[in-house]
Amino acid sequence: MRLFVIAGNSIRRLLRDRTNIFFVFLMPLLLILVLGSAFGGAFDSRVGVVDVGSGELGEDLSRRIRGISGVVTTAYDDRDALVLAVERGELEAGVLIPRGFDQALRDGEEATVDFVARPEASAQALRNTVDAVVTEQGAILRAATFARESAGSDFAEALRMAEELAAETQGLTIEQQAVGEPSAFQEMGRFDLGAYSQLLLFVFITSTTGSAALIESRQLGVSTRMLSTPISMGTVLGGELLGRVAVAVFQGIIIISGTSLMFGVNWGDPIGAAAIFLLFALGAGGVGMLMGAVFKRYQQAEGVGVMIGIGMGALGGAMVPLSIMRMFSPTLYQVAHATPHAWGISAFEQLVLYGGTVSDILPQLAVLAGFAAVVIALGTWRLRIALTRG
Amino acid sequence: MRESGKGLVLDCRGLRKSFGQLVAVDGVGFQIAEGETYGLLGPNGAGKTTSISMICGLLARDAGEVIVDGKPLTSRSVDAKRSVGYVPQDIAIYPDLTARENLTFFGRLYGIGGSELKARVDEILGIIGLADRANDRSEEFSGGMKRRLNIGIGLLHAPRLLVLDEPTVGVDPQSRNAILESVASLSTEGMAVLYTTHYMEEAERLCDRIGIIDHGRLVAEGTRRELVELVGKHDRIRMRASGAIEDAAAAVHGLDGVRKAAASADGIDVIADRAADSLAEILGIITASGVAVASVDVDEPDLESVFLHLTGRALRD
Repeated sequence: MRLFVIAGNSIRRLLRDRTNIFFVFLMPLLLILVLGSAFGGAFDSRVGVVDVGSGELGEDLSRRIRGISGVVTTAYDDRDALVLAVERGELEAGVLIPRGFDQALRDGEEATVDFVARPEASAQALRNTVDAVVTEQGAILRAATFARESAGSDFAEALRMAEELAAETQGLTIEQQAVGEPSAFQEMGRFDLGAYSQLLLFVFITSTTGSAALIESRQLGVSTRMLSTPISMGTVLGGELLGRVAVAVFQGIIIISGTSLMFGVNWGDPIGAAAIFLLFALGAGGVGMLMGAVFKRYQQAEGVGVMIGIGMGALGGAMVPLSIMRMFSPTLYQVAHATPHAWGISAFEQLVLYGGTVSDILPQLAVLAGFAAVVIALGTWRLRIALTRG
Repeated sequence: MRESGKGLVLDCRGLRKSFGQLVAVDGVGFQIAEGETYGLLGPNGAGKTTSISMICGLLARDAGEVIVDGKPLTSRSVDAKRSVGYVPQDIAIYPDLTARENLTFFGRLYGIGGSELKARVDEILGIIGLADRANDRSEEFSGGMKRRLNIGIGLLHAPRLLVLDEPTVGVDPQSRNAILESVASLSTEGMAVLYTTHYMEEAERLCDRIGIIDHGRLVAEGTRRELVELVGKHDRIRMRASGAIEDAAAAVHGLDGVRKAAASADGIDVIADRAADSLAEILGIITASGVAVASVDVDEPDLESVFLHLTGRALRD
């Protein structure tokens, strides 16, 4: 099929330029890695602890803080070093257990634990967690103090017994029940969100900027020359479209397989993911063809292509997640759905977050198919005119 | 016009094409036989490229018909295009592909494949003198080498009719000579060649028959001898001159014994009944017009004279 000869030639020319290999294949993988590392998934809170000279009970409290799930502790020697680390952002928070903490408690005096954090919302959640640990230790200490004062037993012995009883006692528990839909971030792997938004972003940019190759082909007269060979106009138009789509698909295969193997990205139901991507690639290829037919100079296409690609990607949720967009501006969220990106991302979320299948994303697929049909029809029409204008 | 018959490769009649109000080609028709080189001679904008675009099926025509190797050819034809090799005026090759890759790509579009394609590509690379640069990107080639590759693509599938649209534009004299020699050898191998040019020397050197086209109309056609005879027994006076040559030419045009007078790129061309009788008067009028004459040549009519005679304009206007 000579259709494939024309399409294959597009891929050959794309790979011929080494800068394309970087921007088309390596750059998306690199960005997914960076975004995943910086923002992706859950992370452990870093908490510094100063317990120098705090005695046995101070070390016990320090041990309890280390045992908090999702907290990584670092020991500091003095308050100044701890505060500096918090100020520099090296720690989310710091806990200062004072010297003589143990003795003060054993003497029945008040002891104060300092909590140091920057004025951020996340610090409050961390403080609540540390509070819970301090309260837990305080309950045992109060029990031991009560035993000492009411039964006259030794404090150390009373403390040991209180700890044993606390371990054996069935306390109050809170049972958590999930209702509603999870936030887009919480259920995802570290690289998942970045992966599919970057896939759609880069495939679209490659298609829009790739229109420059079609314009160059027109400018050089190569596209017109193809019409002098024994192939139909339909084959030339189809070949040019297939060339654009083939480049997008080729890029997509590299990104999807690369992120799956290297970063363990979950793309959801394979058939659903393939359907989303192929329809999106058809639409992106159609836009590339339309631009390749409309613009006269390839420099125009390269500049405008980047602007359109980044602009539509940003609007469509490839840079700011749609859930956040909806939170801050419902209007912008509605406008975002004028782009294929928003529908593609929404479909991927359905597959990845909720374990959906093709049947769950039919509305999104229908919109992507409609978009592809419209831009392909426009691109074909305009390119036919451009090639036969004479 | 030649009669249709055995050995006729191209037969086009009544070609017409308009772009809005502009009639680019109006009733052009001619025939080319096997082994014949036909030149379409005319100035830029005369309708040469539009004519051959219709002949090659690149452009839908408003009227007329094209028969190539016995098969009608339209913009929708597929099979008939197998008989035509088209070499556009632009260098229509991919600069980022090598010479071999360019040839292979178009070879596949012509339906050639496998070992046949490889052999054919090697053969063409030899013919166009690029065998030793086959694997170099064409963007690294000189203008002449690119032109040769441009022609090579048109020859890949051994067409019955080769259409060359001004193939020597912007080429250095050495490459130009090589291209002309290559084209001359093709016709001796039986290929019919349609060659458009605005260079009179090329048409005179290469072409068995020449059609003169101006303002979209074929104003004369024949061998060089037949065309020159149209001018009759007149002398051609060429003056290299500078100044208000348009006004001077117009003044000369009204003299007795002067058939035509027109400004050319570098002076004034005059067709006169007898140069000996008119020259002194012509020079007098021209110098009186403030035009400085650097040299004067008197010779027998050539295709330039024919064009001047037929259109009242110099070929390179």
